[in-house]
Amino acid sequence: MLREKYKAEIDEILSRYPLRRSALLPLLYLAQKEEGYVTEAAMKEIASILKITPPQVYETVTFYTMLNLRPVGKFHIQVCKSLMCALVGSDTLLGWLEVRLGIKPGNTTKDGLFTLSKVECLAACGTGPMMQINDDYYERLTEEKVDRILADLKRDGTSSLKSGPFMWPERTDG
Amino acid sequence: MVETVKLTIDGHHITVPKGTLVIEAARQVGVMVPHFCYHPKLKPDANCRMCLVEIEKMPKLQTACSTPAAEGMVVRTATTVVNEAHKSVLEFILANHPLDCPVCDQGGRCDLQDFSHEYTPTTSRFIEVKRVFPKEYFSPLIETQMNRCVQCLRCVRYCDEVMDVKALAPSGRGTMTEIKHFTHHELDCEFCGGCVQICPVGAITSRLSMYEFRPWMLKRADTVCTYCGDGCQITIQTKENQLIEVMSAQGAGRNNGDLCARGFFGYHVSTHPDRLQHPLIRRNGELVQATWEDALEWVAETAIRLKLAHGPNAFGGLIGARCTNEDLYLFQKFMRLVVGTNNIDSSARYGQINGVRALRRVQGTSRWTVTFDDIVSAEALLLVGTNVTETNPITGLKVKEAVKKRQATLLTIEALEPAVGTISNIANLAAHHFSVQPDGFKPAVLGLIKAVVEENLVSQPLAQKAPGYVQAVSEAVRRLSWQAIERATGSSSQSFIDATRSFTRTARAVILVGQGVLRAPDGSGLTATLLDLLLLTGHHGLPGCGVAPLAEENNDQGAVEMGAALEYLPGPSDANDQAARARLAQAWKEELPKGPGKSLMEMIEGARTGSLKAMFIVGENPAGSLPPSAGTMEALQSLDLLVCQELFLTETARLAHVVLPACSYAEKDGTFTNTEGHVQSVRHAIELIGESRPDWEILSALSVLMGYPLEYGDAKEIFKEIRSLIPGYGLLGPAPTPPRPDQAVVESYLKTGYSSGLAERYTLGERRAASGERKDFSLTLLVTQTLFHSGKFSTRAKGLLQVQAEGAFSLNPADGTRLGLAEGDRVRVSNDLGEMTTTVKLQDRVPVGLALFPEHFDQEARRLLRVSTDPATQVPYYKSASVKVEKAK
Ligand code: SF4
Ligand code: SF4
Ligand code: SF4
Ligand code: FES
Ligand code: FES
Repeated sequence: MLREKYKAEIDEILSRYPLRRSALLPLLYLAQKEEGYVTEAAMKEIASILKITPPQVYETVTFYTMLNLRPVGKFHIQVCKSLMCALVGSDTLLGWLEVRLGIKPGNTTKDGLFTLSKVECLAACGTGPMMQINDDYYERLTEEKVDRILADLKRDGTSSLKSGPFMWPERTDG
Repeated sequence: MVETVKLTIDGHHITVPKGTLVIEAARQVGVMVPHFCYHPKLKPDANCRMCLVEIEKMPKLQTACSTPAAEGMVVRTATTVVNEAHKSVLEFILANHPLDCPVCDQGGRCDLQDFSHEYTPTTSRFIEVKRVFPKEYFSPLIETQMNRCVQCLRCVRYCDEVMDVKALAPSGRGTMTEIKHFTHHELDCEFCGGCVQICPVGAITSRLSMYEFRPWMLKRADTVCTYCGDGCQITIQTKENQLIEVMSAQGAGRNNGDLCARGFFGYHVSTHPDRLQHPLIRRNGELVQATWEDALEWVAETAIRLKLAHGPNAFGGLIGARCTNEDLYLFQKFMRLVVGTNNIDSSARYGQINGVRALRRVQGTSRWTVTFDDIVSAEALLLVGTNVTETNPITGLKVKEAVKKRQATLLTIEALEPAVGTISNIANLAAHHFSVQPDGFKPAVLGLIKAVVEENLVSQPLAQKAPGYVQAVSEAVRRLSWQAIERATGSSSQSFIDATRSFTRTARAVILVGQGVLRAPDGSGLTATLLDLLLLTGHHGLPGCGVAPLAEENNDQGAVEMGAALEYLPGPSDANDQAARARLAQAWKEELPKGPGKSLMEMIEGARTGSLKAMFIVGENPAGSLPPSAGTMEALQSLDLLVCQELFLTETARLAHVVLPACSYAEKDGTFTNTEGHVQSVRHAIELIGESRPDWEILSALSVLMGYPLEYGDAKEIFKEIRSLIPGYGLLGPAPTPPRPDQAVVESYLKTGYSSGLAERYTLGERRAASGERKDFSLTLLVTQTLFHSGKFSTRAKGLLQVQAEGAFSLNPADGTRLGLAEGDRVRVSNDLGEMTTTVKLQDRVPVGLALFPEHFDQEARRLLRVSTDPATQVPYYKSASVKVEKAK
């Protein structure tokens, strides 16, 4: 139960909003942090904390790609498939990942290391194609970069190619 | 004065109130703007883009469903540009639609079909593969076909905005949005059928009639639901005398097209295979099939013989308030003239009488002085003991509309905890909620009155007009200590003061009184006290204000008004009102029987002691409703003649000498009077089942054989007679015209009338909790009405049985923990009267210390109940008991 374990944190989140149900997303993050994904039990509990119905929580979870309804691997690869990235080849990127990992989007590799997802715009449109792995962005991706990232992650659990949580587009005017 | 604006739509000039949406203004001049997501009941969402129109001076096309009409606006709905827009929106929708009209139940009444027919080219530019959702089981009653969904979200918004249930989730995004419940769980909700009705396409349909019809094959009959006092207008659709479906058109009836589960899914009772098809007569102890002639003759002969031997007062008559006004009227006429007795009662005795008595006493009316519309436009609403969603769901919708759409202040005094669940909970919407045990209703009401008095909120004009009354009531409440009220209600004095302040501040206040008050000891007294509250705050008599006791059965109100009660003649007039008696005697050309008459419980007592020899029981089942401790079975068994007019072989009918098969509401014509006092037409939808006949016809046939013919050609003729006796009865308009309080009666109440019983009304009463028999582990069992059934009648509706097929013992999770009980545990519930075994259900909304059990499945639970009879109103109370609970071995 989240309520027992994170009482203070939940109270703090609730205190931020004049309208109780506004606390829905932060509470969902909390739940996801706990289990790696949002469980049914968590959705029910959050509904009862916010005095809304479980379907209302569920609806929100299904809307945001950042919230997972199923367990994900150690590395959650989220490839942007929105327009800007699509124009610079996000489908090639996705295809490459599918081949390299041997899975289709929505699935996790047998070793439990990688989950592949397609997501909407991650606000790095100037540096596509791009993907987010756990909390880090990887931008201007090429097949070769992707191979290195996967190898790094497997070996070290991290990769120097990450651009951090967010990267400004580089200046092109000199 | 409402501000108005003038505009032009396709060349038509029209003036509409400011704020009217263009789509509505267009409808008024007969221009239909195609739309999916718009619905007059819902807030504009403008998500489907189907309603685009051209408006002069606006650069782009506008959505007619979200654009308010403005002065001088020039709107065009049929230009080439607009048509192109309609085409492309449809092209988008059809890009994914499966076009499975041949197997879709919506086919023939589908907005997508109609608009496609009107606007789409036959070709599409889309060559992509269509989206396909994997088929998932949705629920036993409601089917979803998400590939057909146009994603207008009407269903989701209806479930939230109107129902306040919020059971539907649009899951996913964009074209892949799919309407679901909660993950892969099957739907658990109020099953109002609203989403089925409001879906413009065939994405949500009823499973009860799946694949059984095409709309044009159906015969329609507009009639009235028989499952509660709200009196919803329904359209029963049939095919070859088979009931196919029930719906209610947008705007229809007092319910405005909304229904509850009982109305929408409960219609299969009428054609249940157990329906009695032939008269039955008892021979050698067995009920065997007989002809109508034999059965009626036998009844007439026996009745005549018994009347000669024992006199007319050895007879009693009891009728169910599910009957039409025509049945009820003829029944009391039959009892009063053909038999010659005032021993007449109906199921209105179980509670409705309490409300009517209080209204008559204080304000001289027998019905509400308000209507549903006044509930919707009330600024403050006080609900006492109603759990309105479950007993009167549509009244509940009016309350929800007042609170959610019009920001009314809601006060609730209920045996309900505010908690979100699968069905809506009116306490969640309350600004001031007093969660009390049933015996706390009265202390809580007195708390409000005490606050009115002590905070100087008593209406000044009243204080001047009736100083004696105000003083007497003030003294009475001052005598009650806040501590005692706080103890009895568990609420602080401040909460009563706050609630009272927000109540008195408003100009329009309505008080709804529910079964928790009307079907409990001194229901009439507490209703009168609620009228006191309205008098003291100065609301009483103002437009839109009033106290409204809720009728549980569909024609409870009619039963009283038709005079199917010992104390009332048709009107209702008091049975000892000499002028009324004279009028009636003149109309009937016959003297009325004298003497006081016996009530339901007195008749049972009479049967037991032998003073009552014969009973006519029409559509009522006392042996199945009253607890065994009342000894009803034994009493009825000792009668020399028991005649039952029934649809099914009920507990009572099984004891009868003769059972005459009556027809159901779906097979007869007549009128019902709803809780507001609105008289509405009942029309037959199917032909009579077997040899069954309408109740009035059976009574009429009997009267002929008994030598006192009461003959009528049809129900209309009876209604004409009712009208001649009660002038203006049932002006069958769209809305009732409520009576005004009778000032003479109000004045006499304020002068002296209030004082009788004042002392009892203004005491807190014994807390039942304090009585010795209660142990630590004990709970108060309350046998209640639930949303999914109506009495025992609906327990033969196959649709409703899929939602609720048996009773469960609902208690608060805290009590569960305290007693070591988990959901689904089998428990033994017992007290000094008996015991039962049932299943535990944990529900946050049940207050601690209370346990609920549905009356519809109370065959066993009734064993634990004791009956007490109100000395003043003869109302039997038997809805609660103190019980002990333990895990069953
Ligand atoms: S049937 Fe259920 S889901 Fe549909 S509108 Fe009614 S309460 Fe909501
Ligand atoms: S199911 Fe029907 S009402 Fe609901 S979103 Fe789809 S089309 Fe609209
Ligand atoms: S049971 Fe009552 S609220 Fe439900 S449909 Fe029938 S009349 Fe309406
Ligand atoms: S479109 Fe890919 S990050 Fe914006
Ligand atoms: S009806 Fe106007 S946008 Fe849907």
